[in-house]
Amino acid sequence: PSGLAYLNTIFLAIICPRSGSSKTSTSPTENYQLARRRTLQVVVSSLLTECGFESAEKAAMETLTEMMQSYITEVGRCAKATCEHTARSTPTLSDVVITLVEMGFNVDTLPVYAKRSQRMVITAPPITNAPVVPKALIAGQKRTHPTYIPSHFPEFPDPHTYIKTPTFREPVSDYQVVREKAASQRRDVERALTRFMAKTGETESLFKDDISAFPLIAAKPSTIPYLSALLPSELELQTLEETDSSEQDDQTDTENNSSNVSQDDQSADKENVVLPPGGVVPTGKANEENMIDNPYLRPVKKPKGRRKKLKLIY
Amino acid sequence: MNRKKDKGFESPRPYKLTHQVVCINNIKSFFRDKSVIGYVELTIFPTVMNLNRIKLEASSARIYRVRVNDLEGLHSFTNDPTLEVCHHESKQRNLNYFSSAYTAAVSAVDPDAGNGELSIKVPSELWKQGDEMKVMKVYIEFSLDQPKGGLHFVVPDVDGSMAERAAHVFSFGNQNSTRFWFPCVDSYSELCTWKLEFTVDASMVAVSCGDLVETVYTHDMRKKTFHYMLPIPTAAPNISLAVGPFEILVDPYMHEVTHFCLPQLLPLLKQTMSYLHEIFEFYEEILTCRYPYSCFKTVFVDEAYVQVSSYASMSIFSTNLLHSGMIIDQTPVTRRCLAQALAQQFFGCFISRMSWSDEWVLKGISGYIYGLYLKKTFGVNEYRHWIKEELDKIVEYELKMGGVLLHPTFSGGKEKDNPTPHLHFSIRHPHTLSWEYYKMFQCKAHLVMRLIENRISMEFMLQVFNKLLSLASTASSQKYQSHMWSQMLVSTSGFLKSISNVSGKDIGPLIKQWVDQSGVVKFFGSFAFNRKRNVLELEIRQDYTSSGTQKYVGPIKVTVQELDGSFNHTLQIEENSLKHDIPCHSKSRRNKKKKIPLMNGEEVDMDLSAMDADSPLLWIRIDPDMSILRKVEFEQADFMWQYQLRFERDVVAQEEAISALEIFPTPASRLALTDILEQDQCFYKVRIQACFCLAKIANSMMSTWTGPPAMKSLFTRMFCCKSCPNIVKTNNFINFQSYFLQKTMPVAMALLRDVQNLCPKEVLNFILDLIKYNDNRKNKFSDNYYRAELIDALTNSLTPAISINNEVRTVDNLNTDVRLILEEITRFLNMEKLLPSYRNTITVSCLRAIRMLQKNGHIPSDPSLFKSYAQYGHFVDVRIAALEAVIDYTRVDRSSSELQWLLDLVQNDPVHYIRHEILSMLAKNPPFTKAADSLLCNEALVDQLWKLMNSGTCHDWRLRCDAVNLYYTLFGLTRPSCLPLPELGLVLNLKEKKAVLNPTIKSEQGPGGPEVTTTMAFTSTLEEEHVVMEPALSGVAMAPQGLKRKAETPLGSSPEPGQVMQEEPSAKASVKSKFPTQEEEDIDMDTVHDSQAFIYHHLNMLERPSTPGKEPSSVEQAMLSMPGTPMPTLSKESTSSKHGDHHHHHHHHEHKKKKKKHKHKHKHKHKHESKDKDRDSHAFSNSPASGRSIRSPSLSD
Repeated sequence: PSGLAYLNTIFLAIICPRSGSSKTSTSPTENYQLARRRTLQVVVSSLLTECGFESAEKAAMETLTEMMQSYITEVGRCAKATCEHTARSTPTLSDVVITLVEMGFNVDTLPVYAKRSQRMVITAPPITNAPVVPKALIAGQKRTHPTYIPSHFPEFPDPHTYIKTPTFREPVSDYQVVREKAASQRRDVERALTRFMAKTGETESLFKDDISAFPLIAAKPSTIPYLSALLPSELELQTLEETDSSEQDDQTDTENNSSNVSQDDQSADKENVVLPPGGVVPTGKANEENMIDNPYLRPVKKPKGRRKKLKLIY
Repeated sequence: MNRKKDKGFESPRPYKLTHQVVCINNIKSFFRDKSVIGYVELTIFPTVMNLNRIKLEASSARIYRVRVNDLEGLHSFTNDPTLEVCHHESKQRNLNYFSSAYTAAVSAVDPDAGNGELSIKVPSELWKQGDEMKVMKVYIEFSLDQPKGGLHFVVPDVDGSMAERAAHVFSFGNQNSTRFWFPCVDSYSELCTWKLEFTVDASMVAVSCGDLVETVYTHDMRKKTFHYMLPIPTAAPNISLAVGPFEILVDPYMHEVTHFCLPQLLPLLKQTMSYLHEIFEFYEEILTCRYPYSCFKTVFVDEAYVQVSSYASMSIFSTNLLHSGMIIDQTPVTRRCLAQALAQQFFGCFISRMSWSDEWVLKGISGYIYGLYLKKTFGVNEYRHWIKEELDKIVEYELKMGGVLLHPTFSGGKEKDNPTPHLHFSIRHPHTLSWEYYKMFQCKAHLVMRLIENRISMEFMLQVFNKLLSLASTASSQKYQSHMWSQMLVSTSGFLKSISNVSGKDIGPLIKQWVDQSGVVKFFGSFAFNRKRNVLELEIRQDYTSSGTQKYVGPIKVTVQELDGSFNHTLQIEENSLKHDIPCHSKSRRNKKKKIPLMNGEEVDMDLSAMDADSPLLWIRIDPDMSILRKVEFEQADFMWQYQLRFERDVVAQEEAISALEIFPTPASRLALTDILEQDQCFYKVRIQACFCLAKIANSMMSTWTGPPAMKSLFTRMFCCKSCPNIVKTNNFINFQSYFLQKTMPVAMALLRDVQNLCPKEVLNFILDLIKYNDNRKNKFSDNYYRAELIDALTNSLTPAISINNEVRTVDNLNTDVRLILEEITRFLNMEKLLPSYRNTITVSCLRAIRMLQKNGHIPSDPSLFKSYAQYGHFVDVRIAALEAVIDYTRVDRSSSELQWLLDLVQNDPVHYIRHEILSMLAKNPPFTKAADSLLCNEALVDQLWKLMNSGTCHDWRLRCDAVNLYYTLFGLTRPSCLPLPELGLVLNLKEKKAVLNPTIKSEQGPGGPEVTTTMAFTSTLEEEHVVMEPALSGVAMAPQGLKRKAETPLGSSPEPGQVMQEEPSAKASVKSKFPTQEEEDIDMDTVHDSQAFIYHHLNMLERPSTPGKEPSSVEQAMLSMPGTPMPTLSKESTSSKHGDHHHHHHHHEHKKKKKKHKHKHKHKHKHESKDKDRDSHAFSNSPASGRSIRSPSLSD
């Protein structure tokens, strides 16, 4: 049984779910594994010695060690599978036995083999601390199962995997600092932006000796200067939207003549025109325009009786 | 005058126009070639037998064909004498001469006198028809090729179709300028109905007067024809046109009103027009009359000539009046413009005027009802403030420039009787007026209307208007045959008659004082309190001798606020009474605790400790209702002004008190002003004014001032955060009053100065902090004006740099404060490129700031930056600001190249408004004046300016008058001092004349093509000067007296060269005796028709014989000094030589008679003819302006 226990420990070490993933680390986990592997090598060497070998090539040693490790791993895996097949979580001795039987190993020979006289006693593997599973960040209380979940069910994962933890910095509540910050931030952005523009484009300078001081972006005449001067900039419109979105409606619909309709709606009390609510039906549109009897909205006539008049002109 | 007193209106033309068709079809591409082809057809009724000539105005149009009733008519296209005012290349360069020639030229084509430059000969077959007074149709085909006036094309230089480029065209002009875009009778008094047709690209809209009857595609479907009918008789100057790819907005409140704007601006148009219906309602209500036209159109165009122009049933506005809902400052301005335009629809467009001298009635009424609108919309405070502002403006102008005459009468039609001799231009015609004068004219007109209202009550006033309108609308619906249309013309006499009919009051004295006479009244008031008699002894003196003033006799209201209440007294201002005793009602300080009743019935507690214990007088106001056009300088103690400021509820009184307090820098004044500033019931404009006064007082009190800088703590309290007083609150402009105050206070504060005469560091940092912490994110309104004013504040804080050894300004030796300021300005200016502000207000302020930095020597003075901003393609406000800076640079640095650059711009800039502004800004801030010597003042400049006003500006009356103004500012009335004396050149002329004159006369016999004019004008004009002026002299029979008067008032601009002639012989004689060696001078004396300066020069030489005549510098100086003073020496000289003058005059006369007998004949003939409204096409031709007189057929007879 002690051999078995020993094997067990080996199994467990190998099947530990985290062991594979921590290869890259140079932490205690790695040391632990190296130690195991060395022990396994010692075991292989002693077995070889027992068989009468005096020396072995390193490659052969490694192969054998690998085979040994594979074998043990397979035993462990199968034992675990058998155990879980019977809805348990910890393998028992019989699981291992079944496994060994399954793998074609005569179990009965095992006690004899274990008690053989020439067997070498291997020193216990150096006691290295079992790898400390890096503790997940403890966030909040680990929840226990509610009553309707049997206790053998797996425990809840660490809270941090499912608990929403809002992160926020302590707000700067001092008004002065806020304003100060906003002001200097804006100024910095503006300065950086204008400097950039000045550096990348044409400039004018106020000083002849130092052109780079106080660079002014060159004034470029535009073809339709009144547009940019009269229309509110997008930024301003955006600001307006934020402050008062209801007023914005008027400003954005620049569609066509039918947009008069929207204004008419507001001033419906002023006039007798009854307008269809909501969306504009194409047929209804013509009606509206007729109702607003304005000569500029009337359709342009086709040149029918124009011949006479043309004669007059030429 | 006589004519006007007649009941009906007599047309100066031998026919009456009833209907006109204007058809402009865009055969060539309208926009690509900027050309127009079309025809007009005028339906006329001859009013005389044998109508053989029809005169029309058609400046600069090319006439292809004329038909009268389908018969080919002959037309002679008289050269428009206004194209080139003085035809010859004489060395004559004095303004007196120019002004008279220009006036004559304008008269020569004045439609109000029946003249015109297009003369059509009626085919003889139709003469008989004329007997039967049958209708005639005059059909004229014409074209305009890239017209400089009349129509303005705006074609942005980008890719895409014309519609995509927002290309548009609109008509414009100063007064009656329709002749520039189609042949017509360009008079406000010739009404007719209209049919207008415009064929334009299918993507365009043509907006014009009257009702749009239909829009029809042309056959290729690529163009549309807009047919307009205007059934209401309308004068040609009230016809207009605008074509462009306009966006159309039907007014949501009034469907017959349509608004047009350029692409992409529709949202702004909606916002801007959202209150137009209120204005409509207001006018219709007060006038109890419907809007006279069946529709109304507003068109917003770019590069507008003026901000607002009104035409029959439509108005053209500058597109820059459009604004979004976020803009505060522009909103009232735009509203005012709309209200003005609409007021002119009633009076100006619908009701037109009989003659130019009746213009004041129309301008007065429209200005007056516009004022009523202001009162209703913006409140009584705003209204009274506006009235005071207007009154101050007109008073300032008249005192500076001389009187403004509303109703000039020209008896006999001779220029001799110049009613405004103090002016350097004639007021006979709207086209000879300086723009500034015309603005003041309008201002005075509406103020006088208000005076009439004061006299007859507003109710009667509105009844009169209603009567005028209802008469006109009855007349407008009549057919022409009923002869009612003249009811639509208003005349001064008709208007006054209506007033007396409606009100039964005689307003004759008032009219005589303010309408028939120019000038304002200047009062000086002071008082003493007689304790024994308990009487206020008030002394009111007048200054009626200085220019622009007149004497006032009549009632004047004086309001005295005593302890017991406010009392009105009406005093009579008489010839010799200066002192007035006004009994007081209250004994001095009877009851300390009692509240003091104010004028409006309010009772208030006052701290009376400041006042004189012996006197019950709190304050006194003279003419509080502004019922006289006056300036009052009243003396009362500082505490009285302070009481007036604090407790008088009238904003005008408060403003008067504030300006009076400027000279009382005491703590009490400071307190009074601060209190007003803090009172939010007080009218915001008063508070704004208080800010600036406080800054001035603080500067005067510098040494004794305690506490923080003026207004700082106040600003902090009102606009900064409670917790951190150095940080301004985030912007919230919902309360407009405090918005305006918040804007103004930093600007006023920046004017503060410390002991070193620098802006206090504390103030500068304060302003920099305001800029730094400015935060508009939560604001409903745009802060562009606020930021602009913060930059203005920085500008105000600048003081001259301390210059050491005149070192060159470099970055390194920049003052640290200035560096901070410059950094802000740079950042603002650069940000503006990325996020432009509304109307680029920030750029404008930055440019001003940079100029100020240059001027104060902080940074090197350099115009190149401004010149780049002044280019075409920047927003107009920016250009104006940049040009202003260039002009300032030109003056300070005396740069001739910049001056040249500016003048080139005047000639070549595409925008009329810019050209006008350059000239008027140059006149306001001239590079030099006649009083000082300058290197800039040279012959080339004189020539250039002369050419500009002589011929370079013929397409734009306003620009020409601007040029005249500038010329006057730079050189004065007389010959510019920098010109060499006109000696040798004239001798040559003399010879040339003799050689050439006769042949040219002979060549005149044919109908005369224009090419003859140009060749002859050069030599012949010298002669005409004699010819024209002599009848004027002999006719009025004032040779000796006139001469004397002239000598005594050398500035008086009776500027006939002929008159000058008479003085010459005397000069010559004397010169001869004293300088017998100067042969050359003697020779040319015979023919010198030159400036008075020349005479002055000679007279001066007589006065100081030791001065050799060849030393130009001293002579120039002498000449300069001459016109300025009424020179006793000169008058003495002239009286002593009077006899000689007289003699020479006769001699001269004879000489002329002998030489040009035929001419004399013609002259006299002309005199007669002009009386009988001559039918001769060349009646005007012997004006000095025209080079054609000699060619006239009558001469060769």
